[in-house]
Amino acid sequence: MQEERRTRVYELLAHDKSIYLQISEMIETDIMRGILEEESRVPSTNELAKLYAINPATAAKGVNILVDEQIIYKKRGIGMFVSPGAKDRILQKRRSMFYENYVKGLVVEAESLGISKEELINMIQES
Amino acid sequence: MATLVCENIVKNYKDKKVLEGVNLEIEQGKIYGLIGRNGVGKTTLLSIMTAQNPATSGQVYCDGERVWENRKALDHLCFSREINTMTPLGPNTLKIKEYFRVAKALYPNWDQKMAEELIEHFGISIKKKINKLSKGMLSMVTIAIGLASKADITILDEPVAGLDVVAREDFYRILVEEQASTGRTFIISTHIIEEAAAVFEEVIFLDRGNVLLKSNTEELLSRALHVTGDADAVDAATEGLNCHHAEMMGRSKGVTVLLEPGQQLKEGYDVTVQPLSLQNLFVALCGKEA
Repeated sequence: MQEERRTRVYELLAHDKSIYLQISEMIETDIMRGILEEESRVPSTNELAKLYAINPATAAKGVNILVDEQIIYKKRGIGMFVSPGAKDRILQKRRSMFYENYVKGLVVEAESLGISKEELINMIQES
Repeated sequence: MATLVCENIVKNYKDKKVLEGVNLEIEQGKIYGLIGRNGVGKTTLLSIMTAQNPATSGQVYCDGERVWENRKALDHLCFSREINTMTPLGPNTLKIKEYFRVAKALYPNWDQKMAEELIEHFGISIKKKINKLSKGMLSMVTIAIGLASKADITILDEPVAGLDVVAREDFYRILVEEQASTGRTFIISTHIIEEAAAVFEEVIFLDRGNVLLKSNTEELLSRALHVTGDADAVDAATEGLNCHHAEMMGRSKGVTVLLEPGQQLKEGYDVTVQPLSLQNLFVALCGKEA
């Protein structure tokens, strides 16, 4: 488990994104995949800092994004837990970002390569 | 817990100016990365900050008190320096445990158990003599002394020098865990920038005897851009901005831009904009030949 997570973070670290965003996205992905179930405890800021060898302040920033979005919640003195309905909320958020993050770029690149809309749609249907 | 302030630190070695008026404020509870090229004065600055070396002029204050010859202020500080295998009298035949005995006398909060556990964790015998240790092992001893000093402000000068990649990873993990659980302040100097970038809450770039910048790492990277494209378009898009390290290749140009708060690239030009790694930013800002 630990090994798998570390490999993933190295891949992600190669990307352009800020580390705190990577941390919040990784937790989200674990929730979507059911690795972290609703009402289960989320690794603490310090655990995340140690696991990924990142600054605790950066880990806290990533976690706080999820608290603000009510994907996880704090139980005082106990830790952080996955909110009920978190999975649906993440799914909705990612779906609304899908167009911006993937479709737009796909269409622009297809256009610059001279691939027509029809050809693109055919490719999607075949894939 | 403590804060450390450098006020206009100047250091000359005979005719050579090493530090030219350094002002620096170290806040408590953060991990700082001190980055600078060889010979830029990093070790000199760190030794002055911990009163192991007198400044030509300027003052260092810990919680408002001068640190020079001030036991009370120095109790908050630890500068775990590079250990040499040679002494002026010949090979350094002291054992690690004898170094720990000295450290215990020096640091009021010394944690002997932690020091021994770290040395064991690194796979070294505490009975080993210093002159029998490899460069990596010497680094491990300085790491163990720095961490086990339990000093509020702990300074490690190139702690990962000579360590292999697994040991370096291991060190960063131990460091963030210690920082998170105690709230201590760490200043780490290193030449291996990229892999440590995520560990540093703030970075300090030292260049030619002065602090070039001190910034939150994430914030710094969020305003550092690499802009490439047709030279005219790049010039137009970056006009009036802080540009560094311009590179020309025929008609194309690449330039590193450090945006000030509120600034942005001019829109409407066909240029490629990419984020920079901390290492590339450092090269762009400090890489030019002196």
